[in-house]
Amino acid sequence: MSLAQHQLKLVVNQSPEVLERVLRVVRHRGYKIDQLNWQHEDGELILTVSSQRALHLLTNQLAKLVDVKDVTELNMMQTSKSA
Amino acid sequence: MRGADLLVSYLKQEGITTVFGYPGGAIMPVYDALYDGGLKHVLCRHEQGAAFSALGYARASGKVGVCIATSGPGATNLITGLADAYMDSVPIVAITGQVTSAVIGTDAFQEMDVLGLSLACTKHSFMVTDKDELANVLQQAFTVAKSGRPGPVLVDIPKDIQLAEVEAALTISTKDPITQYDDERLEAAKQLLANAKQPILYVGGGVGMANAVDELQGFVDATGIPSVTTLKGIGAIPNSKPYALGMLGMHGTKAANLCVHECDLLVVIGARFDDRVTGRLESFASNARVLHIDIDPAEINKLRQSDVSLCGDLKDILPALTTTLSIHEWQQYCRDLKVQYNWNYDAPYRSIYAPKLLNQLSEKLPSNAVVSCDVGQHQMWVAQHMNFTRPENHLSSSGLGTMGFGLPAAIGARHARGRQDPVVVVSGDGSFMMNVQELGTIKREQLNVKIVLIDNQRLGMVRQWQQLFFEERYSETILTDNPDFVTLASAFNIQARTITMQADVAPALDEMINSNGAFLLHVRINEADNVWPLVPPGASNADMMEKV
Repeated sequence: MSLAQHQLKLVVNQSPEVLERVLRVVRHRGYKIDQLNWQHEDGELILTVSSQRALHLLTNQLAKLVDVKDVTELNMMQTSKSA
Repeated sequence: MRGADLLVSYLKQEGITTVFGYPGGAIMPVYDALYDGGLKHVLCRHEQGAAFSALGYARASGKVGVCIATSGPGATNLITGLADAYMDSVPIVAITGQVTSAVIGTDAFQEMDVLGLSLACTKHSFMVTDKDELANVLQQAFTVAKSGRPGPVLVDIPKDIQLAEVEAALTISTKDPITQYDDERLEAAKQLLANAKQPILYVGGGVGMANAVDELQGFVDATGIPSVTTLKGIGAIPNSKPYALGMLGMHGTKAANLCVHECDLLVVIGARFDDRVTGRLESFASNARVLHIDIDPAEINKLRQSDVSLCGDLKDILPALTTTLSIHEWQQYCRDLKVQYNWNYDAPYRSIYAPKLLNQLSEKLPSNAVVSCDVGQHQMWVAQHMNFTRPENHLSSSGLGTMGFGLPAAIGARHARGRQDPVVVVSGDGSFMMNVQELGTIKREQLNVKIVLIDNQRLGMVRQWQQLFFEERYSETILTDNPDFVTLASAFNIQARTITMQADVAPALDEMINSNGAFLLHVRINEADNVWPLVPPGASNADMMEKV
């Protein structure tokens, strides 16, 4: 199965628990976090995630969160093979 | 005014008249405000009961249900109810007390990170950290609960904020629900409909939640498309409509499953391809194109790729799609299957056959009756053998499948609906014991709730699966040591009787329906009775088992 890696930019409300909300959805919906960059002052979160599942299954769930204002896919970085 | 008083006055401003809850240390200021605050508070006997009562209230009325609990164990006891409301998209607002702000994070007495616990089982949640934000948070909580795809919202309020003098400023804006369709998409959808020779409507709970039952029925009457419903969609299209084929899925009707299997266009309306509906997903309506209509963009293309999707309010979309079709041959085919596989209650039963009893009960109840059921075999028999003309009259824990739902949800429905609407619980001997303490709420409030307790002295649905799929190894499903349910009812001043023979059914149902106040009808049935038909796990819906 191919494991696609994607970079996402999220603009979020600066509530104290917003990171937990986002990370919980990412894990529960079947994606692994490879990298993250969080700028609290800007409410901006850059996530690199990978999964065998299609990306829209994650972005649609993230966009539903009340504290998430915007989700953009920055680029599809690479495709690797795993067992 | 104190934060607690602001809460009570805000609830009244939202049109809330009844709340369900249980007091405790960290919520005491709110209970002080409730003491003479002009809201009806129903003391449930467990916080899970309060959550399910709020849920039943919301489902039976279309309004937001409110439950209240203290910090720590009070709040954790709400969690199952919130999860149930989340899975079934029911708008409830849960208010929890929290320990005083200064000691949050110190493992104070009855402190628990409820915001953390809420993340997976609510649509959204808040902890109020600024006393002057309380009003804003409450307004946002109700807006989120009701808007778009509805769901549960939790508001955790530290005790010091309940006691603080607060401002009542309201300045919040919330995200608008996403609408993703335009004239071009509508045209494409109409084209799919026009080209279909064998279309089926797959109707889910979204229709009732969108208050779009009339719009759906208008669409059905105009197009004549045969329909199937999910468990939560029951009532959106009455079974009396000629091409209404009943529930589909694991315990659906044979006609519903076969017609879906053979359709060339599946019109999905407020439904989400749940695994109990689809059976093996790859073989579900595998030759059909899909038109998916839903308020939640995350449901589109989640499990099944759609050919055209319309994301928005069903109340607007369904009238815009209404058209006439020429599908007489297909209609006749579906109708023939409906007749061929219709339920049959003609066998000469001596002992009580629950499906027949439930069908008799359905015929005796007026169409405005609310039936709240628990989870298990009896739940499927209610779905199969009782008739509903509105989704808000059939309360059933669908997505989460929570035993213990029925009794407290009925208590909520009793408060939501006028005296002229009968409220009936159909439970099993397993489920009933899960929230049996709510008989205390019925006694305290003198509620006219009728209870039909179907007793096979088993955890019947698990027993059925053990029989079919686990070599009859009946692990922990035999309940021959059940309490005496009639004595149990009498401890709560509830009239009760037991019946064991089919001949007793009609007079006992009449006695129950005509009784004043609460009544428990204890119905003994044979433990070997199973729910049929059944799609075995991993099978296609076209391969239904009909006997052992």
